Amino acid sequence: MADQSTASDDHGVSEAHPTVEVSKRQMYVYIFLILGFLTFIELFVPPVYGADWSSTTKMLLLCILAILKAGLVAAYFMHLNHEAKWTRWIAYTPIYMGGAVIIIMLESIYR
Amino acid sequence: MSTVHAATESHGDHSDLAAEDPHFGKATGGKIAMWMFIAQDGMSFGGLLFAYGILRATAQEWPVPAEVLGINLTAFATFLLICSSLTMVFAVLAAQEKNKASLVKWLGLTILGGIGFLGIQVYEYQHLVHNGVGFVNSSFEGEAINSLFGTTFYAVTGFHGLHVLSGVIYLICIFKGAVQGKYTQGGDSASPVELVGLFWHFVDLVWILVFTFIYLL
Repeated sequence: MADQSTASDDHGVSEAHPTVEVSKRQMYVYIFLILGFLTFIELFVPPVYGADWSSTTKMLLLCILAILKAGLVAAYFMHLNHEAKWTRWIAYTPIYMGGAVIIIMLESIYR
Repeated sequence: MSTVHAATESHGDHSDLAAEDPHFGKATGGKIAMWMFIAQDGMSFGGLLFAYGILRATAQEWPVPAEVLGINLTAFATFLLICSSLTMVFAVLAAQEKNKASLVKWLGLTILGGIGFLGIQVYEYQHLVHNGVGFVNSSFEGEAINSLFGTTFYAVTGFHGLHVLSGVIYLICIFKGAVQGKYTQGGDSASPVELVGLFWHFVDLVWILVFTFIYLL
């Protein structure tokens, strides 16, 4: 937090906006704490719901937690929530492809 | 991008070219290229994880990952990578604020986080190989286990480890420029720090998924 108060370039000119940067830093710290907390929670899911691969509750909980964490990193640390529409469409490409793979797999299973 | 020029000229304002782009907003060409790279790299990881899922779901027997792999140590490595993501966003902020000392400090911490993660991964591999989990044949506590367990584990985590190694090398290159003050001159000079940040966060994001699918499920 001390960095923003001393934010200045080598020429001694500061163009930082302290209020905005402090709130950004706070937001990043909050996201970091949430990510750490969710990682901590994840460790308790397998012991609670057993080691069985087919345990639906365990799979659902872990998948939701992982997607939530990945979403937080993408949205806030990678600033995807501030990007323009087309950049977001590019970033979502693996999700469309993943959806296509799932459809193809389901089709082959139930053929 | 020709529409950008057209739109800008029609308003008679040449000073804020990137802001006029109707599709990509203020994103620079480098940032769009990095997002395209990240998207295709994400599909590579997706392919590996799908292959892992199919192999595991169709296997006759599969060892319980939590019993073979060290979950607590890997959870710590995950936390270390999340910490390095935080130091990376602070590095980007420092570059935007033109604060060279802060940029060097946060980039240095990010590099240390990456090296720490790689160190844990090397230790984990040594430990697993010593316990019989190989790339081709695997055993655990003296009993043979599905060889695909080791193959898929090393393929996915090794591919990610190579990304971390690439990220650390990329960060060291940027760190060198940061020490020389290249990225704290204002304007678009901070852009390379933003780009390495995007790559580093992507590496973190992928590990979050790998940790869940390979270690916890």
